[in-house]
Amino acid sequence: MKTNLTPIIASLTRQRGVRGSLLVDETDGVIIDATLHVGMKGPAFAALAASLYRKARLSAEAAGLGGVTFLRLRATEGHVCAAGKHEMVLVIVADARANIGLIRMEMLKALERLVI
Amino acid sequence: MVYWRGAPMADDIRRLSEELARDPASPAYLQLGEALRRGGQLDLALRVALRGLERHPHDADAHDLLARISVDRGELERAFDEWDMVRRIAPAHLGARKGMGYVLFKQARYAEAQTYLAEAAELDGEDETVATALAMVRVKLRGGQRDQRDRGDPWAEMGLSAPVAPVDPVDPVDPHDPLGLFSDLTAEGEQTALLLDATGLVMAGTYLTQDGRDVAQEVGAELSGVSDEARRAMRHLALGDWSSLTVETDAAVVAMAPMRDDALLLVAASKAMPLGLVHRVLDRCVARATSWLAKGGA
Repeated sequence: MKTNLTPIIASLTRQRGVRGSLLVDETDGVIIDATLHVGMKGPAFAALAASLYRKARLSAEAAGLGGVTFLRLRATEGHVCAAGKHEMVLVIVADARANIGLIRMEMLKALERLVI
Repeated sequence: MVYWRGAPMADDIRRLSEELARDPASPAYLQLGEALRRGGQLDLALRVALRGLERHPHDADAHDLLARISVDRGELERAFDEWDMVRRIAPAHLGARKGMGYVLFKQARYAEAQTYLAEAAELDGEDETVATALAMVRVKLRGGQRDQRDRGDPWAEMGLSAPVAPVDPVDPVDPHDPLGLFSDLTAEGEQTALLLDATGLVMAGTYLTQDGRDVAQEVGAELSGVSDEARRAMRHLALGDWSSLTVETDAAVVAMAPMRDDALLLVAASKAMPLGLVHRVLDRCVARATSWLAKGGA
């Protein structure tokens, strides 16, 4: 199903090395919109990504560090990046060759354009 | 289980492999798996143990072997489950109680560890490793530190200590000063570093806010389980093992790295500090924490 958010999400997926992008409700981990490559287990991953982001946000609050602006999880074969706004989390899954600096900028720009 | 010492390990492995090839139902898989485990060939040891369990699913020693391999692989939950199975199959199995006590001790669940070790002591009141382990647990329960000078490492004597990185002899680690463990690496307060166990409890380091409050416990509580979630997320995506988690906030950059036994190392720095430098500090703190843990700091 396409929503008015779909073009924004889809534009992120066109970045080199990006396997999929999702907009997730931070509270319950449910997908609001997503563009995923074939084979990606969207719902389970969305829930995990939202939970991880929530943990990071709560610990930052506990430490008096303010809101979380960007999160990057690095693994041997790729990256997961997340950025949040108004209890929504924009999540990107990318492989190891992706340009994370560029993706980070595009994600922060995309987040500014998101209106629900 | 029978362990053997003295003979060259490679010869034993070859001999046992041949024996198992001749007779796949032979119990030699127990010795072979143990030899591989002790030789650090954990993937191979795991395969041998699992294949043995397919043929001997109710063999308590096979589950015990799998538990020991799991400990060496850092899979404490799995090790605990396997020893629990051993206990069900062989209610008087001493090794299962010791193993379960070990896992719970590593997880800082000292009261539960005491229960299993006390059961082990009831099964064999003359086992010195159990008595020493029980004494260690009781010291932890009182919130103290054990005296290592006249006691050995009971876990090592049980063959349970997981492999650790080599200790740097010039590394200035003071095992008795956990709060100051990272102070020389974090520019005396410019950054802050914290080592948390799998349950989010602080093992070493401090986390001071700008107004001087130590919020280490609060941060640890909120981050409890983050290692597990990161690993599960990576598993879902088939992206391999996670190596770092970096969180940018309005005021700071926080970088985390996984440690053994699902522990977590965290470094926080000013947002003005370049990300690459934050990761350099993180790497140094990981090395320091590894060394500290190897010296029995936990």
